[in-house]
Amino acid sequence: MTLGILGKKLGMTQIFKDDGTCVPVTIVQAGPCKVLQIKMAAAVEHPEGHRTSSMNRGKKGGKATRPRSADGYYAVQLGFDDKPARVTNKAQIGHNKKAGVDGGKRFVREFRMDSAPQLKAGDDVTVGILEGVNHVDVAGITKGRGWAGTIKRHNFSCQPASHGNSLNHRTGGGIGRTNSISKGVPKGKSMAGHYGVDRVTVQKLEIVKLDTVRNLVYLRGAVPGHNNGYLLLNKSTKVKR
Amino acid sequence: MNILHQIEVEHMKPKVPDFGIGDRVDVHYLIKEGDKERIQIFSGTVIAIQGRGIRRVAKVRRMVSGEGVERIFPVHSPRIADVKVREKGKVRRAKLYYIRDLEGKATRIKPNMGKPRFPRSTRSKKAAPAAT
Repeated sequence: MTLGILGKKLGMTQIFKDDGTCVPVTIVQAGPCKVLQIKMAAAVEHPEGHRTSSMNRGKKGGKATRPRSADGYYAVQLGFDDKPARVTNKAQIGHNKKAGVDGGKRFVREFRMDSAPQLKAGDDVTVGILEGVNHVDVAGITKGRGWAGTIKRHNFSCQPASHGNSLNHRTGGGIGRTNSISKGVPKGKSMAGHYGVDRVTVQKLEIVKLDTVRNLVYLRGAVPGHNNGYLLLNKSTKVKR
Repeated sequence: MNILHQIEVEHMKPKVPDFGIGDRVDVHYLIKEGDKERIQIFSGTVIAIQGRGIRRVAKVRRMVSGEGVERIFPVHSPRIADVKVREKGKVRRAKLYYIRDLEGKATRIKPNMGKPRFPRSTRSKKAAPAAT
Protein backbone atom coordinates (compact mmCIF):
# COMPACT_ATOMS: atom_id res chain seq x y z
CA MET A 1 0.00 0.00 0.00
CA THR A 2 1.49 3.24 -1.11
CA LEU A 3 0.53 6.84 -1.03
CA GLY A 4 -1.81 7.97 -3.76
CA ILE A 5 -3.30 11.33 -4.46
CA LEU A 6 -6.73 12.94 -4.51
CA GLY A 7 -8.09 14.53 -7.62
CA LYS A 8 -10.98 15.93 -9.53
CA LYS A 9 -12.28 14.85 -12.91
CA LEU A 10 -12.21 17.83 -15.23
CA GLY A 11 -13.57 16.12 -18.32
CA MET A 12 -12.70 14.16 -21.39
CA THR A 13 -11.15 15.10 -24.69
CA GLN A 14 -8.73 13.59 -27.15
CA ILE A 15 -5.11 14.22 -27.93
CA PHE A 16 -2.85 13.04 -30.72
CA LYS A 17 0.40 11.26 -30.10
CA ASP A 18 3.40 12.11 -32.24
CA ASP A 19 2.79 9.09 -34.45
CA GLY A 20 -0.71 10.32 -35.14
CA THR A 21 -2.68 7.90 -32.98
CA CYS A 22 -5.62 9.54 -31.34
CA VAL A 23 -5.90 8.90 -27.61
CA PRO A 24 -9.13 9.43 -25.67
CA VAL A 25 -8.10 11.07 -22.41
CA THR A 26 -9.69 12.07 -19.17
CA ILE A 27 -8.09 15.11 -17.65
CA VAL A 28 -7.80 14.89 -13.88
CA GLN A 29 -6.63 17.63 -11.60
CA ALA A 30 -4.55 15.71 -9.06
CA GLY A 31 -3.59 17.76 -6.05
CA PRO A 32 -2.06 19.82 -4.68
CA CYS A 33 -3.09 18.00 -1.53
CA LYS A 34 -2.19 18.82 2.06
CA VAL A 35 -1.29 16.15 4.58
CA LEU A 36 -3.79 16.77 7.36
CA GLN A 37 -2.86 13.96 9.70
CA ILE A 38 -0.50 11.04 10.05
CA LYS A 39 -1.68 7.87 11.70
CA MET A 40 0.81 5.61 13.42
CA ALA A 41 0.47 2.06 14.63
CA ALA A 42 2.10 2.85 17.98
CA ALA A 43 1.83 6.06 19.96
CA VAL A 44 5.61 6.23 20.38
CA GLU A 45 6.08 6.65 16.67
CA HIS A 46 4.24 9.93 16.61
CA PRO A 47 6.49 12.93 16.36
CA GLU A 48 6.86 15.18 19.40
CA GLY A 49 3.85 17.32 20.09
CA HIS A 50 1.42 14.75 18.88
CA ARG A 51 1.79 12.55 21.88
CA THR A 52 -0.95 14.12 23.92
CA SER A 53 -4.55 14.64 23.14
CA SER A 54 -6.77 16.94 25.13
CA MET A 55 -10.25 16.01 26.09
CA ASN A 56 -13.00 18.31 27.24
CA ARG A 57 -15.25 16.58 29.76
CA GLY A 58 -17.62 19.48 30.17
CA LYS A 59 -18.09 21.87 33.07
CA LYS A 60 -17.52 19.43 35.92
CA GLY A 61 -15.00 17.14 34.33
CA GLY A 62 -12.78 19.90 33.12
CA LYS A 63 -10.10 19.57 30.51
CA ALA A 64 -7.81 16.60 30.70
CA THR A 65 -4.66 15.88 28.85
CA ARG A 66 -3.69 12.31 28.41
CA PRO A 67 -1.21 10.37 26.38
CA ARG A 68 -2.35 9.94 22.85
CA SER A 69 -3.45 6.46 22.08
CA ALA A 70 -2.09 4.63 19.09
CA ASP A 71 -4.04 4.73 15.87
CA GLY A 72 -3.32 1.05 15.34
CA TYR A 73 -2.38 1.42 11.70
CA TYR A 74 -0.26 3.54 9.41
CA ALA A 75 -2.01 6.03 7.20
CA VAL A 76 -1.72 9.44 5.64
CA GLN A 77 -4.76 11.66 5.61
CA LEU A 78 -4.90 13.98 2.63
CA GLY A 79 -7.12 16.99 2.05
CA PHE A 80 -7.89 18.35 -1.39
CA ASP A 81 -9.70 21.41 -2.72
CA ASP A 82 -9.99 24.40 -0.42
CA LYS A 83 -13.21 25.21 1.32
CA PRO A 84 -13.79 28.58 2.98
CA ALA A 85 -13.87 28.60 6.77
CA ARG A 86 -17.43 29.94 6.88
CA VAL A 87 -18.81 26.69 5.48
CA THR A 88 -16.50 24.45 7.50
CA ASN A 89 -17.50 23.19 10.90
CA LYS A 90 -15.36 23.98 13.90
CA ALA A 91 -14.20 20.44 14.45
CA GLN A 92 -12.73 20.35 10.98
CA ILE A 93 -11.22 23.82 11.27
CA GLY A 94 -9.49 22.71 14.48
CA HIS A 95 -8.30 19.51 12.88
CA ASN A 96 -6.92 21.30 9.84
CA LYS A 97 -5.24 23.96 11.95
CA LYS A 98 -2.84 21.33 13.25
CA ALA A 99 -1.63 20.93 9.70
CA GLY A 100 -1.40 24.67 9.24
CA VAL A 101 -4.43 24.87 6.98
CA ASP A 102 -6.84 27.74 7.29
CA GLY A 103 -10.40 26.76 6.57
CA GLY A 104 -11.44 23.39 5.29
CA LYS A 105 -10.87 20.89 2.57
CA ARG A 106 -13.70 19.59 0.44
CA PHE A 107 -12.32 16.11 -0.05
CA VAL A 108 -10.50 14.33 2.75
CA ARG A 109 -9.37 10.74 2.47
CA GLU A 110 -6.87 8.41 4.08
CA PHE A 111 -4.29 6.26 2.39
CA ARG A 112 -3.25 3.16 4.34
CA MET A 113 0.48 2.54 4.44
CA ASP A 114 2.57 -0.55 5.08
CA SER A 115 5.16 1.23 7.20
CA ALA A 116 5.52 4.47 9.09
CA PRO A 117 5.06 7.31 6.60
CA GLN A 118 7.88 9.80 6.25
CA LEU A 119 5.52 12.71 5.70
CA LYS A 120 4.24 14.96 8.43
CA ALA A 121 1.11 17.00 8.80
CA GLY A 122 1.25 20.15 6.72
CA ASP A 123 3.31 18.64 3.91
CA ASP A 124 2.21 19.09 0.34
CA VAL A 125 1.52 16.17 -1.96
CA THR A 126 1.59 17.12 -5.60
CA VAL A 127 1.15 15.26 -8.83
CA GLY A 128 4.92 14.73 -8.81
CA ILE A 129 4.41 11.53 -6.82
CA LEU A 130 3.02 9.96 -9.99
CA GLU A 131 6.26 10.64 -11.83
CA GLY A 132 7.60 7.40 -13.23
CA VAL A 133 4.27 5.66 -12.67
CA ASN A 134 2.75 4.23 -15.82
CA HIS A 135 -0.61 3.02 -14.60
CA VAL A 136 -3.02 4.07 -11.88
CA ASP A 137 -6.19 2.76 -10.32
CA VAL A 138 -8.86 5.39 -10.06
CA ALA A 139 -11.75 5.25 -7.62
CA GLY A 140 -14.74 7.52 -7.80
CA ILE A 141 -18.48 7.73 -7.33
CA THR A 142 -20.42 6.78 -10.44
CA LYS A 143 -23.17 8.87 -11.95
CA GLY A 144 -26.58 8.20 -10.48
CA ARG A 145 -29.05 6.43 -12.76
CA GLY A 146 -31.95 6.36 -10.35
CA TRP A 147 -34.22 3.34 -10.43
CA ALA A 148 -32.93 1.29 -13.35
CA GLY A 149 -34.17 -1.88 -14.99
CA THR A 150 -32.23 -5.10 -15.33
CA ILE A 151 -30.97 -4.31 -18.82
CA LYS A 152 -29.18 -1.15 -17.77
CA ARG A 153 -28.27 -2.33 -14.29
CA HIS A 154 -27.16 -5.93 -14.84
CA ASN A 155 -26.52 -6.08 -18.58
CA PHE A 156 -29.48 -8.39 -19.19
CA SER A 157 -30.51 -8.95 -22.78
CA CYS A 158 -33.63 -7.54 -24.30
CA GLN A 159 -36.44 -9.86 -25.18
CA PRO A 160 -37.46 -10.09 -28.84
CA ALA A 161 -39.13 -7.06 -30.32
CA SER A 162 -41.53 -9.19 -32.32
CA HIS A 163 -42.32 -12.89 -32.88
CA GLY A 164 -45.42 -12.61 -30.78
CA ASN A 165 -43.80 -10.87 -27.83
CA SER A 166 -46.39 -8.89 -25.99
CA LEU A 167 -45.38 -6.10 -23.64
CA ASN A 168 -42.33 -8.00 -22.37
CA HIS A 169 -39.45 -6.35 -24.15
CA ARG A 170 -37.37 -5.06 -21.28
CA THR A 171 -38.70 -7.09 -18.38
CA GLY A 172 -36.39 -9.21 -16.29
CA GLY A 173 -38.02 -12.56 -17.07
CA GLY A 174 -38.19 -15.52 -14.76
CA ILE A 175 -36.60 -15.29 -11.31
CA GLY A 176 -36.39 -18.95 -10.35
CA ARG A 177 -38.41 -22.02 -9.47
CA THR A 178 -41.41 -22.11 -7.19
CA ASN A 179 -42.87 -24.00 -4.27
CA SER A 180 -41.07 -27.00 -2.82
CA ILE A 181 -37.74 -26.64 -4.63
CA SER A 182 -37.06 -23.05 -3.81
CA LYS A 183 -37.55 -20.97 -0.76
CA GLY A 184 -38.76 -17.88 -2.50
CA VAL A 185 -36.55 -15.64 -4.61
CA PRO A 186 -32.93 -16.79 -4.70
CA LYS A 187 -30.60 -14.64 -2.64
CA GLY A 188 -28.65 -12.12 -4.69
CA LYS A 189 -30.97 -12.42 -7.67
CA SER A 190 -30.30 -9.45 -9.91
CA MET A 191 -33.34 -7.33 -10.38
CA ALA A 192 -34.30 -3.77 -11.09
CA GLY A 193 -33.40 -1.23 -8.45
CA HIS A 194 -31.32 1.77 -7.65
CA TYR A 195 -28.25 2.02 -9.84
CA GLY A 196 -25.28 4.34 -9.72
CA VAL A 197 -23.79 6.53 -6.98
CA ASP A 198 -21.53 3.61 -6.08
CA ARG A 199 -17.85 3.71 -5.40
CA VAL A 200 -16.19 2.10 -8.38
CA THR A 201 -12.49 1.54 -9.02
CA VAL A 202 -11.16 1.42 -12.56
CA GLN A 203 -7.90 -0.48 -12.60
CA LYS A 204 -4.80 0.11 -14.64
CA LEU A 205 -5.47 3.31 -16.47
CA GLU A 206 -2.50 4.43 -18.49
CA ILE A 207 -0.97 7.80 -17.68
CA VAL A 208 -0.58 9.48 -21.03
CA LYS A 209 0.88 12.73 -19.79
CA LEU A 210 1.71 14.55 -16.58
CA ASP A 211 1.52 18.29 -16.19
CA THR A 212 3.38 19.13 -13.01
CA VAL A 213 2.90 22.86 -13.43
CA ARG A 214 -0.88 22.75 -13.34
CA ASN A 215 -1.12 19.45 -11.44
CA LEU A 216 -2.90 17.65 -14.24
CA VAL A 217 -2.88 13.98 -15.17
CA TYR A 218 -3.99 12.77 -18.58
CA LEU A 219 -5.44 9.28 -18.25
CA ARG A 220 -6.28 7.05 -21.15
CA GLY A 221 -9.94 6.14 -21.02
CA ALA A 222 -12.82 7.00 -18.76
CA VAL A 223 -13.06 7.36 -15.00
CA PRO A 224 -16.17 7.01 -12.82
CA GLY A 225 -18.44 9.90 -12.08
CA HIS A 226 -19.44 13.24 -13.49
CA ASN A 227 -17.16 16.13 -14.32
CA ASN A 228 -15.85 17.90 -11.21
CA GLY A 229 -16.38 14.67 -9.25
CA TYR A 230 -13.71 13.69 -6.77
CA LEU A 231 -11.36 10.79 -7.37
CA LEU A 232 -8.73 8.74 -5.60
CA LEU A 233 -5.66 7.91 -7.63
CA ASN A 234 -3.46 5.03 -6.58
CA LYS A 235 -0.53 3.38 -8.19
CA SER A 236 -1.94 0.40 -10.02
CA THR A 237 -1.93 -2.86 -8.11
CA LYS A 238 -2.01 -4.90 -11.29
CA VAL A 239 1.39 -3.83 -12.56
CA LYS A 240 4.13 -6.36 -11.96
CA ARG A 241 6.92 -4.96 -9.86
CA MET B 1 -11.13 30.20 -20.06
CA ASN B 2 -12.28 26.74 -19.27
CA ILE B 3 -9.22 24.61 -18.47
CA LEU B 4 -10.40 21.77 -20.68
CA HIS B 5 -10.75 24.14 -23.60
CA GLN B 6 -7.32 25.54 -22.83
CA ILE B 7 -5.78 22.06 -22.90
CA GLU B 8 -7.42 21.35 -26.23
CA VAL B 9 -6.09 24.57 -27.70
CA GLU B 10 -2.57 23.63 -26.58
CA HIS B 11 -2.77 20.33 -28.40
CA MET B 12 -4.36 21.75 -31.51
CA LYS B 13 -2.43 22.83 -34.57
CA PRO B 14 -1.81 26.55 -34.30
CA LYS B 15 -3.15 27.07 -37.77
CA VAL B 16 -5.33 24.75 -39.79
CA PRO B 17 -5.86 25.25 -43.50
CA ASP B 18 -8.97 27.20 -44.24
CA PHE B 19 -11.40 25.03 -46.12
CA GLY B 20 -15.13 24.58 -46.04
CA ILE B 21 -17.97 22.40 -47.11
CA GLY B 22 -18.23 21.87 -50.85
CA ASP B 23 -14.59 22.70 -51.48
CA ARG B 24 -12.53 20.51 -53.73
CA VAL B 25 -9.44 19.76 -51.70
CA ASP B 26 -6.20 17.82 -51.81
CA VAL B 27 -5.52 16.27 -48.42
CA HIS B 28 -1.82 15.60 -47.95
CA TYR B 29 -1.45 12.89 -45.37
CA LEU B 30 1.51 10.88 -44.16
CA ILE B 31 1.56 7.16 -44.65
CA LYS B 32 4.11 4.71 -43.45
CA GLU B 33 5.81 2.45 -45.97
CA GLY B 34 8.17 0.16 -44.17
CA ASP B 35 10.43 2.52 -42.27
CA LYS B 36 9.86 5.46 -44.54
CA GLU B 37 7.10 7.97 -44.44
CA ARG B 38 5.74 9.63 -47.48
CA ILE B 39 2.93 11.93 -48.32
CA GLN B 40 -0.09 10.66 -50.14
CA ILE B 41 -2.72 12.91 -51.59
CA PHE B 42 -6.42 12.27 -51.37
CA SER B 43 -8.34 14.68 -53.52
CA GLY B 44 -12.07 14.98 -53.26
CA THR B 45 -14.96 17.09 -52.10
CA VAL B 46 -15.53 18.05 -48.48
CA ILE B 47 -19.05 16.84 -47.78
CA ALA B 48 -19.18 17.34 -44.00
CA ILE B 49 -17.28 18.90 -41.14
CA GLN B 50 -18.08 17.61 -37.70
CA GLY B 51 -16.88 18.25 -34.19
CA ARG B 52 -15.37 21.23 -32.43
CA GLY B 53 -11.87 22.05 -31.35
CA ILE B 54 -9.39 19.21 -31.48
CA ARG B 55 -12.15 16.74 -32.32
CA ARG B 56 -12.89 18.43 -35.65
CA VAL B 57 -13.05 15.98 -38.55
CA ALA B 58 -13.70 16.48 -42.25
CA LYS B 59 -15.39 13.95 -44.50
CA VAL B 60 -13.92 13.95 -47.98
CA ARG B 61 -15.56 12.11 -50.88
CA ARG B 62 -14.15 11.20 -54.23
CA MET B 63 -14.94 8.79 -57.01
CA VAL B 64 -12.46 6.00 -57.65
CA SER B 65 -13.20 4.08 -60.85
CA GLY B 66 -16.92 4.54 -60.54
CA GLU B 67 -17.04 3.77 -56.84
CA GLY B 68 -17.57 6.46 -54.21
CA VAL B 69 -14.88 6.59 -51.55
CA GLU B 70 -15.20 8.64 -48.39
CA ARG B 71 -12.45 9.24 -45.89
CA ILE B 72 -12.69 10.95 -42.56
CA PHE B 73 -9.70 13.11 -41.66
CA PRO B 74 -9.12 14.48 -38.17
CA VAL B 75 -8.12 18.02 -39.00
CA HIS B 76 -5.69 18.35 -36.09
CA SER B 77 -3.97 15.02 -36.56
CA PRO B 78 -0.20 15.34 -37.02
CA ARG B 79 -0.52 12.92 -39.92
CA ILE B 80 -2.44 15.47 -41.94
CA ALA B 81 0.40 17.45 -43.46
CA ASP B 82 -1.63 19.90 -45.46
CA VAL B 83 -5.00 20.56 -47.02
CA LYS B 84 -4.88 22.46 -50.30
CA VAL B 85 -8.06 23.98 -51.61
CA ARG B 86 -8.35 23.43 -55.35
CA GLU B 87 -11.65 25.17 -55.75
CA LYS B 88 -14.11 26.67 -53.35
CA GLY B 89 -17.61 25.38 -53.62
CA LYS B 90 -20.88 27.23 -53.44
CA VAL B 91 -23.26 25.17 -51.39
CA ARG B 92 -26.47 25.83 -49.52
CA ARG B 93 -26.27 23.22 -46.81
CA ALA B 94 -23.80 22.04 -44.18
CA LYS B 95 -23.86 18.34 -45.02
CA LEU B 96 -23.69 17.29 -48.66
CA TYR B 97 -24.82 13.72 -48.17
CA TYR B 98 -27.24 14.09 -51.06
CA ILE B 99 -24.39 13.77 -53.54
CA ARG B 100 -24.02 10.14 -52.54
CA ASP B 101 -27.19 9.44 -54.49
CA LEU B 102 -26.06 11.36 -57.55
CA GLU B 103 -23.82 10.32 -60.37
CA GLY B 104 -21.65 11.95 -63.00
CA LYS B 105 -22.31 15.53 -63.87
CA ALA B 106 -24.96 15.91 -61.21
CA THR B 107 -22.36 15.66 -58.46
CA ARG B 108 -20.63 18.83 -59.58
CA ILE B 109 -20.69 21.70 -57.15
CA LYS B 110 -20.81 25.25 -58.36
CA PRO B 111 -17.60 27.11 -57.69
CA ASN B 112 -17.77 29.92 -55.22
CA MET B 113 -16.65 33.18 -56.79
CA GLY B 114 -15.45 35.28 -53.96
CA LYS B 115 -18.59 35.63 -51.90
CA PRO B 116 -18.30 34.50 -48.29
CA ARG B 117 -19.32 30.91 -48.05
CA PHE B 118 -21.69 31.25 -45.16
CA PRO B 119 -22.74 34.83 -44.55
CA ARG B 120 -22.33 35.55 -40.88
CA SER B 121 -25.50 36.28 -38.98
CA THR B 122 -26.74 39.83 -39.11
CA ARG B 123 -25.92 40.31 -35.46
CA SER B 124 -22.21 39.73 -35.90
CA LYS B 125 -22.24 41.98 -38.94
CA LYS B 126 -23.51 44.84 -36.86
CA ALA B 127 -20.93 44.08 -34.21
CA ALA B 128 -18.09 44.48 -36.67
CA PRO B 129 -18.97 47.26 -39.11
CA ALA B 130 -15.31 47.86 -39.87
CA ALA B 131 -15.20 44.74 -41.98
CA THR B 132 -17.61 46.06 -44.60
